[in-house]
Amino acid sequence: MRSQSPDTGRRNFLKSATIAGAAALTTPVVAGAQTPDATKTPKPDAKAAPPGPKQMAAETMPPQDAKDPVFQTTSGGDFMVDVFKTLDIDYLAMNCASSFRGLHEAVLNHGGNTKPEILTCPHEEIAVHMAQGYAKIEGKPMAMICHGVVGLQHASMALYNAWCDRVPVIAMGGNIMEANKRGPGAEWVHAAIDPAAMLRDFTKWDDQPTTLQHFAESAVRAYKICTTPPMAPVVLSLDGELQENPIKDPELLRIPKLGKVIPPQGDDAALAELAQMLVNAETPVLLVDRVARTPAGMARLVELAETLQCAVIDNVGRMNFPSRHPLNQSFRRGIIRQADVIVAMEVNELWGSLSEFDDRIVRTSHPITKKGAKIATLGCRDLYMKANYQDLGRYQEVDLNIAGDAEASLPTLIEQVKRLVDDGKKTAFAARGKKLAAAHAAAVEQAKSDATIGWDASPITTARMCAEVYAQIKDEDWSLVGATIRLTWPHKLWNFEKPHQWNGVSGGAGIGYNLPASLGAALANKRHGRFTLSFGGDGDFNFVPATLWTAAHHQIPMLYIIHNNRAYHQEYMYLQAMAARHGRSLAHTDIGTTLKDPHIDYATVARGFGVYGEGPISDPAELGPALKRAVAMVKSGYPALVDVVADPR
Amino acid sequence: MTQSTTRLTIFTLAALAVASFGFATATLAQDTPAPAGDAAHGRSVYLADGCFECHGRAGQGGGFNYPTPALAKLEMPVESFVAFLRDAPHDMPSFSPNVLSDKDAADIWAFLQSLPGRKPAKDFPLLNQ
Repeated sequence: MRSQSPDTGRRNFLKSATIAGAAALTTPVVAGAQTPDATKTPKPDAKAAPPGPKQMAAETMPPQDAKDPVFQTTSGGDFMVDVFKTLDIDYLAMNCASSFRGLHEAVLNHGGNTKPEILTCPHEEIAVHMAQGYAKIEGKPMAMICHGVVGLQHASMALYNAWCDRVPVIAMGGNIMEANKRGPGAEWVHAAIDPAAMLRDFTKWDDQPTTLQHFAESAVRAYKICTTPPMAPVVLSLDGELQENPIKDPELLRIPKLGKVIPPQGDDAALAELAQMLVNAETPVLLVDRVARTPAGMARLVELAETLQCAVIDNVGRMNFPSRHPLNQSFRRGIIRQADVIVAMEVNELWGSLSEFDDRIVRTSHPITKKGAKIATLGCRDLYMKANYQDLGRYQEVDLNIAGDAEASLPTLIEQVKRLVDDGKKTAFAARGKKLAAAHAAAVEQAKSDATIGWDASPITTARMCAEVYAQIKDEDWSLVGATIRLTWPHKLWNFEKPHQWNGVSGGAGIGYNLPASLGAALANKRHGRFTLSFGGDGDFNFVPATLWTAAHHQIPMLYIIHNNRAYHQEYMYLQAMAARHGRSLAHTDIGTTLKDPHIDYATVARGFGVYGEGPISDPAELGPALKRAVAMVKSGYPALVDVVADPR
Repeated sequence: MTQSTTRLTIFTLAALAVASFGFATATLAQDTPAPAGDAAHGRSVYLADGCFECHGRAGQGGGFNYPTPALAKLEMPVESFVAFLRDAPHDMPSFSPNVLSDKDAADIWAFLQSLPGRKPAKDFPLLNQ
């Protein structure tokens, strides 16, 4: 990454000059030794033969007796790898860079490229998003590292997604802290006094250790902080000299212990009050978003809902609730209007879920909740906030705010609810549950009926695409880890019932998430033998297509279905609305919003990266066979892409 | 695809509102009835003017900032349909006669009537997995 590389020996030269200088200061003068006498130095003879290599070296290089070590037996990078091993970090996603060459080499040769194993990523955004997708399936953070400054700038959008998605990522960037150690050129423009400054608004914590002991403590602290709800990315800036130089006092170094990280639980009395509200309600609704952090989360939410026989509306930030559960009312959101108690759990933007907003010339909004409805929140959102980026949504009036991790608080809440449910309540709840089950069944039948419209159309409808895909994967232990088509059709047509069958969305709606995050999730699924698939938009794909090379290189099986609507479709719709608002031509709204002339051939792109590709497929009759071939490829251990030319939504 | 934050907020609510009062209460903007539609021309306008963006090329519905309703075999008189387009609710754009004439609107209506529409879901094995 250095643009001026001829000075590769500069740092060593400076080092040796320092050593020589120090030696000159400390080496005692030996009595009787010969010392040069300037007065006797022979003058150059114009006729003398030109100097040979040895003479040239003697005149231009440091003295022979100066200490200029060319080998070392330890490095700070080795110790850093030991810290990662202690933390059980499985992977280090990276785009290689000189500012962390010391650590890079140590991972390979000291660590044996295992725990962490390097994931080669052609873009820093890929590395972060892989870590985001991985953490949501595996339940633990992955580390990523990139160049200081420019690498972190590339990584920043992905870190913002992870921040909004409440996902732990250990991000690191190389840096050369000491000005007198930086080589000219790239090492200066890629160095910063405070590299994490640009990330501080959307990361939870950062540090720039100055010693190896400092690094060890900060790495363990970083792990603890990022995995404590509310989870979020953390950043460590690693000095190049610290990574590369020999360890001075290895016997003094110690890797601190990472104790159990316990998520914060809501206050017992407050949870008892909430239980009372829920049990006394006639039409309670549980509104959930990022509740299920672990496989236990979904089971707990199901237990609460079934105890109350109440409606659940899932904002699908995680795999919170089974899609075919009769209490799942996610496609009957109008039920919020009738609710007398609404309990929002780990919802990022509650106001948005409880209000109607019209995007018109005069923007208007009003609450959709029933007058007198009680609203409670349970979540850890308020425990850690930043001010600048507005991922908090408009202020929502709430009757009871309980700060605490929802999944961790559910057992206590369930216990409190069960204490309050007598036989009379049970009977009433059962009647309520029966009505909700009927409504759920009706909604599913309506969805199936909707799906028949345009069944044989070309471009293919998203409903048909989802039905065809499900036919191929339903008997696998599948895991859907991305859906830029939104989860609408899969949720209506597929049976989501296991915790790993969905892992949420980008968080920050930053495009370029879906492909690499899906690959990170696929990596986590690989070790569990699961079948990973993802729907990704063509627009998203084009931000980081080289993710496919990482998939091929590391042999990560994943079925990636391109929902190819040949547009940045949401923007296409907005532009049409703008033209209509002005009473001006609608005919040109495809300019700047569509991806055509020429059409992009994603299957060919995939093959170029070494990935199996099918498509473009615009005839629905050809989709099933193409998917079957791609599924076979994935089951044999390789990634595969199917390009489906589909209707917009 | 979008760079914009998706508003999960409204979702079906707006669609429900459209279904419940929007289409149903729309009235004629003109004194004279809209002309009979030309389905073939209506299809070309439906595609050119971007109706398909939210409602699908087969009129199957879709999503904008909330789910958008299916329009195939729309159960609405043509006059009400034209009037609705002139003053649409929520996030749906309204279309002035400058960009969509009454005739073009009526042709779109005719196109929507010509679409196959729904079929019994039980006849589709892939929808009953």
